[in-house]
Amino acid sequence: MTNDELRSVAVTKTVDARGTACPGPLLEAKKAMGTIKSGEILEVLSADEGSKRDIPLWAKKKEIDYLGTIDEAGYFRIFIRK
Amino acid sequence: MCMALFSGSLDKLTAAGVILSGAVADDMDVEIYVLMQGARAFKRDIATNKDQLMMAENSHLREEFIAACKQLNVKEWYQFFIDAKAMANVKVHICGLAGKLWGGVKIDDFVEWADDIVGINEYITSAQNADVHLFI
Repeated sequence: MTNDELRSVAVTKTVDARGTACPGPLLEAKKAMGTIKSGEILEVLSADEGSKRDIPLWAKKKEIDYLGTIDEAGYFRIFIRK
Repeated sequence: MCMALFSGSLDKLTAAGVILSGAVADDMDVEIYVLMQGARAFKRDIATNKDQLMMAENSHLREEFIAACKQLNVKEWYQFFIDAKAMANVKVHICGLAGKLWGGVKIDDFVEWADDIVGINEYITSAQNADVHLFI
């Protein structure tokens, strides 16, 4: 998805993991995935550079759709769909 | 995943916790075998006492390491293990010999989240059956 498309998706839940270092954002994503339904979208906020690759890789293994990442000033918005 | 946790150093215990977190994110079953100096770190009177835990290498960087972990909001080493056990099937086994080296003979001598005291063949069997085997 393009950044414009990502900015307009209907996010079901946002988890703010900017206060944690690796593996915090990944674990927050995993926990949050357990709270949403199939087809719903989770947004993970992370200030950890490694999350940009780690969360998409994890999502692929778990058969979760990785929609894209928006690179904001000082943090990332990572979108995945259950 | 099978992990042999030999080290009782603050930096390697933290690294083990980070790796463990990645494994539970993948819903892996994890068997941890705590050996030698690792068993000392898992003793009830040692685990949460950071003053008792040194660095595996570059000992002069210990305070810098601790300060950086605090600044980055990195969990205490043992909290990685506690959280991982809450999220997935993670078992912590203490080597019987290693425990005795540090005066630990009963499971109650170790952290409450340790599961049992075992012999070495359990570790070998777990390593034989694991897709991923780490020695830390």
